[in-house]
Amino acid sequence: MLSRVADNLYWFGRYLQRAENTARLINVNSNLLLDLPRTITFGWEPLVQIVGADELFLEHYENDFSEPNVLRFLMLDERHHGSILSSLQLAREILRTVRDTAPREVWERLNDLHYFVQGRGEMVMSRTRRQDFLQRIVDSSVLVYGTLIGNMSRDVGFHVLQIGTHLEQADMTTRILDVRSTSLIDTGPKQDLAPFYNIQWMSVLRSLTAYQMYRRHVRARVNRSGVLRFLLQNREFPRSVMHCLGNIGASLPQLPQHRNVERTLWRVRAIVQDASIDRLVERGLSEFIDELQIGLGELHEALAQAYFRG
Amino acid sequence: MAIDWRQYHCQDFYDELFEAPGQPREAARRVAEYLDDLTDAELAERRLAADLAIKVMGISFTVYSEGKNVDRAWPFDVIPRVIPRREWERTEAGLRQRVAALNHFIQDLYNERRIVRDKVFPESLLAESVNFRPQCVGTTPRNGVWAHICGSDLVRDRDGTLYVLEDNLRVPSGVSYMVENRMVMKRVFPELFENTTILPVDDYPAQLYDMLVAMSPRPLDQPNIVLLTPGIYNSAYFEHAWLAQQMGIELVEGSDLYVGDDDCCYMLTIYGPKRVDVIYRRIDDLFIDPEAFREDSVLGTPGLMRAWLRGNLALANAPGAGVADDKVVYAFVPKMIKYYLGEDPILPNVPSFLCMFEKDRAHVLANLDKLVVKPANESGGYGMLIGPRSTPEERNKFRDLILANPRNYMAQPTLSLSTAPTLMPDETVEPRHLDLRPFVLSRDPLRDRGSAYVTTGGLTRVAMVRGSLVVNSSQGGGAKDTWVVDTEADQAASGQWQSQTGGTG
Repeated sequence: MLSRVADNLYWFGRYLQRAENTARLINVNSNLLLDLPRTITFGWEPLVQIVGADELFLEHYENDFSEPNVLRFLMLDERHHGSILSSLQLAREILRTVRDTAPREVWERLNDLHYFVQGRGEMVMSRTRRQDFLQRIVDSSVLVYGTLIGNMSRDVGFHVLQIGTHLEQADMTTRILDVRSTSLIDTGPKQDLAPFYNIQWMSVLRSLTAYQMYRRHVRARVNRSGVLRFLLQNREFPRSVMHCLGNIGASLPQLPQHRNVERTLWRVRAIVQDASIDRLVERGLSEFIDELQIGLGELHEALAQAYFRG
Repeated sequence: MAIDWRQYHCQDFYDELFEAPGQPREAARRVAEYLDDLTDAELAERRLAADLAIKVMGISFTVYSEGKNVDRAWPFDVIPRVIPRREWERTEAGLRQRVAALNHFIQDLYNERRIVRDKVFPESLLAESVNFRPQCVGTTPRNGVWAHICGSDLVRDRDGTLYVLEDNLRVPSGVSYMVENRMVMKRVFPELFENTTILPVDDYPAQLYDMLVAMSPRPLDQPNIVLLTPGIYNSAYFEHAWLAQQMGIELVEGSDLYVGDDDCCYMLTIYGPKRVDVIYRRIDDLFIDPEAFREDSVLGTPGLMRAWLRGNLALANAPGAGVADDKVVYAFVPKMIKYYLGEDPILPNVPSFLCMFEKDRAHVLANLDKLVVKPANESGGYGMLIGPRSTPEERNKFRDLILANPRNYMAQPTLSLSTAPTLMPDETVEPRHLDLRPFVLSRDPLRDRGSAYVTTGGLTRVAMVRGSLVVNSSQGGGAKDTWVVDTEADQAASGQWQSQTGGTG
């Protein structure tokens, strides 16, 4: 396998996952805003922080984190490489260069999705049609991914793609936890907030389609430490950080052996595994997430060094 | 209702399928009968099925539009072009002969230059050739093959003569569409293939692969063969990906390769560097190696020429092969055939008059209103005079130009390209002009001409616009499937042996 092709397949996995997770995020934030009291106005700004594009946003929209601005930025803005449209475009360009590696049907499904977002993107501005629109993006991404999983030989290219997919999911999961966990804390008098406190954690679960699985696994009411433990450390839920890292670990033996990649992966896993969630609840969550994200960044760098640069 | 061949008028052109309205040529009879049995609705349905097949099979070509590259579906006409087998065998022999002579010529030009010493080919032309590569002087590629893959464009004039219009020896494209056109036809008209002996075309990728394997500088090892593409923005990218896929070889870009201090070429893989033995390159000479040619090229890989000259790497086609694919050199191909092979050309050139020769010049100047005058070093139809459509002022201007610089001009009679019936959006048929590009793979042209592989038929390109002669897909051209039909086998199969004098146009 050519290094360039491996690099492309890895990023294809990441972009596809990024488009899907961004749609999930927007959808849940929209719903959450309907539930929260008007006095709490955290609005749309956290979403821009989640995807780590604050600077770019400020550059183009100044300080105006209004709903239309943030939605446009996250969904359709081609200047923002993480927007849904950009992610799909990048995934498409990549698929074009690896046309001989991936099944033809994947190309067709991805094309459908891309043209849908490009042609109907304005729908997201209307609240009544937003949910349908976002749901269709999530569904179509799942369809693209499913077409890949169902039709691609489990060769080295497949494993590279899997690694990209799971690394991106681990990354998005930590981002969602990070912002949601800090946004609401100091916004108002504690007693007024209490009923809404858990709504917020439910929304975190929902954004990752994790609510039902959480209830089955945890069998307790939704609360902060439960959600953190579930989304960070659960080994069975596909979007938990631990599960994603486990998947990467399962794919690595299919690639040429590389000590540095393995060592980095073990280090990141240790960070997650050894975290004392109860203590994180009170303080230090942000620092912890930062540490974890740096770890994921190092894992990406190790992979790039070992396989993609040739 | 349905196609009425009696209404099909080919005016004063040679039609590939019909001798006269309502009278199909022998080889085309079955398909003509079959088509006029279909109702309009059935025809429309088949056409839709063909369009759908093309979309589903992902057959596309790339065009630039508003700074973006857009994949367009391949324009395809469902009525095939039919060639009788006997005619094709003669054409095939002509192509083998021609490509052998061209390889002799390139080998000679970069080495002994006998043809120049013997005053058959003027030295001055060599000095002016933009495709001559001084870096190649003194080199002999394996088996003396320079033009491994050749795509020659054939056109038929009013009287039915098939001429060679040009030879593409650099990076000829179109062969993937030839194979895919056939796949579409088999999906859409399976019945036709049951009743007619249509010779298959899908052997090409396997033949190409075998030829590339035989070029390896390390013949004892399993050779590593790659296809070098300029990337997704190239209009032929579909074909590059298609060929790589069909042959099961790696599709690489310049940045995937490097040439080491050992003058060997390697590709970058996740397992580390891997030696490359043969590159089927789809990048023009000037861009393959910034070290040897254009320094600003970002498409190629520095050092490829070095590796090639040291014999550590095979390139198809060889750098410098383009010297024989040039308008003025073209005019000398019949002389090359005579000089190197001692034979008369089987396939004629379009008669060409080189203004550098006094006799030719006098003829050109006397017939400016009838000829097409082309500058030697321009391509794409720039700076041409089309005699029959020119004004007296234009002709005077060209007279002065030719007299001032006779070497730079050549002239040819205006050809009337042949036509074939083509299905219109309203399910009627009209004649449209077409050409034919067969592909020749050369293995050992200097010693064994028979080792060459010629595609069965080739890619038929058709100008979809009425009266137009432009067959290029980027400018409204489309394609037809090309059938080489064995009418004798068909007759034998149906037990109707007839006299062999039965007309095979």
